[in-house]
Amino acid sequence: MHYGHSSGDDRWARRGTRTITPSRTNTWRVHSATPHPGLGRPDDHRGTTVTAGIEVRGLTKHHPGARPDRPALQDVDLEIPHRQFVSLIGPSGCGKSTLLRILAGLDGADAGRVSLLGRSPKQASRRKAIGLVSQTPALLPWLTVRQNVALPARVNRRAGTAIDPPDDLLRAVGLEDSAHQYPHELSGGMLQRVAVARALGLRPDVLLMDEPFSALDEFTREALQYQLLGLWQERATTVVFVTHSVHEAVVLSDRIVVMSARPGRIHEVLDVDLPRPRDRKVVRGPHMHDLEDRVRASLQSAWKAGAAPDDLVPL
Amino acid sequence: MREEAGIVTRVTDGTAEGGDSASAPVPPGTIPPAPGGPAPARGARRRSPAHPFVWLPALVVLVVLGLAWSAVAEAHPYILPRLGEVGAALVGDPLLFLENAWATLSIALVGVGVGAGSAFVLALLMSEIPVVRRAVMPFAVVLNVTPVVAIAPALVVAFGFGMTPKVIVTAIITFFPVLINVTTGLRSVPLPVLHVFRTLDASRWEVLLRLRVPSSLPYTLAALRVVLPLSLVGAVVAEFVAAGSSGGLGTMIRNSASSARLDHVYAGVVCLAAMGVLLLALVTLVERRLLFWHDSRRPTRG
Repeated sequence: MHYGHSSGDDRWARRGTRTITPSRTNTWRVHSATPHPGLGRPDDHRGTTVTAGIEVRGLTKHHPGARPDRPALQDVDLEIPHRQFVSLIGPSGCGKSTLLRILAGLDGADAGRVSLLGRSPKQASRRKAIGLVSQTPALLPWLTVRQNVALPARVNRRAGTAIDPPDDLLRAVGLEDSAHQYPHELSGGMLQRVAVARALGLRPDVLLMDEPFSALDEFTREALQYQLLGLWQERATTVVFVTHSVHEAVVLSDRIVVMSARPGRIHEVLDVDLPRPRDRKVVRGPHMHDLEDRVRASLQSAWKAGAAPDDLVPL
Repeated sequence: MREEAGIVTRVTDGTAEGGDSASAPVPPGTIPPAPGGPAPARGARRRSPAHPFVWLPALVVLVVLGLAWSAVAEAHPYILPRLGEVGAALVGDPLLFLENAWATLSIALVGVGVGAGSAFVLALLMSEIPVVRRAVMPFAVVLNVTPVVAIAPALVVAFGFGMTPKVIVTAIITFFPVLINVTTGLRSVPLPVLHVFRTLDASRWEVLLRLRVPSSLPYTLAALRVVLPLSLVGAVVAEFVAAGSSGGLGTMIRNSASSARLDHVYAGVVCLAAMGVLLLALVTLVERRLLFWHDSRRPTRG
């Protein structure tokens, strides 16, 4: 059951993902979760010309001071085709945020290799090719919304990366009227939209999102999910999305990576074969519930697969 | 809550109408409620400064204190001068007080400029170069715990009765609070924001200039709020010590006290108090201008 937790040979990468629909082939290289010709993604890399968007090989990471037999990440292999939307989900302590931090180049790995479109995270950030959206909006409170969105252009100019005009970005997230307001004047949902606009402005190769909507109320979160889908559809970038919500993962993703804890590793990879673009009708359909149940079942087994946390109070 | 709902409707409308959020028409009226919404309620609750409820309590205390003062002054004219005499001294020779006040104020301000300025620069260096921190911090602490009044006579011996020793005393007094606060402020950067800067591969200089220094501003201004009134203390103490110096309120108070001219002593004290208030008001003004974004400047609701 431990896909991705490779032991010697690279089972996951070759045999690929477990598709939720039984009829599907199991080799991801020729497989696309949902065929959607001409959906506004300029060139569909999936299926025919596979460019590995993100490639993770044998990644191991120990947190300093933690038990040596329980690494935060142990021998993680993961391959995400370019322009896929992938969610990382799993019980707390499974290392999904650690994995995201390593992908972002904020943290180093003890062993293993990470490449984002063939580059190391450091090289990618040097080219400003990584967009990061964290749980908190992480805006600069002394700058207006517009200046915040323009920030990536003003920092690290030697990369020579141009960003989209801030006004266009704000229009894309529906905040053009708030351009000259300051962050403290906006609601949490609006702030997170600004953060998304800021991350997208560079047209990053990879967009890394760490539970970006988890602090928002249900309605706002749903609205932002659809908005994010729309933006992703237009801009075609590889997204790694850490989440705690099964529903959110299924609504957004092409592929869901279920991780298990202690040691942190990939438990199972599930494909989501919901058609795109995903509107409310798709999401409310009966298939959606099957998918959610599948992910929940996988999470259950992932939870059982991991050792019990040390700090769990015995019942 | 209501404004949150308004936002939600707008977003969902935008995506529901063909998934094109860019074309979602936003009625201009929907945004302002977010910041403007609570404002009227707050304004209603907060009274205008002209309202008696605001100034009356302080006035009552002032009158009571004045009466008590006058009672003591009538009974013991050699302990306290009459309020009228103090006023007369101030009005009688305003130029004398203005000149001396200016002498003291200029020392205080130059002292703050030197002390706080060097503390700020040093804090920047310490935050970027750990070695500097380890080299400097012990001595800064020792300098802080040493009573400056004790150094002042030695400084006068070394530098004479001019401005230099007084400026040095004031600078020493103002140095440490600024150093500590700015150091803390430079480190008080939210981690997620720092992460965003790091994924953009921002240089240290950019992180310092665009992130750390603005983040430290609330701490710097809090330090100035403490240090500006302190600078007057430093200047006056230095003037006390440097006997025979030409001007300054400290010198004047000292000389007046030794010749038992109590009205001049208290007139000088009034001038110093007024200067202190003025400096505080100045810091508050700057805080309002620069820290509009900071939590401390927002009324706590609920």
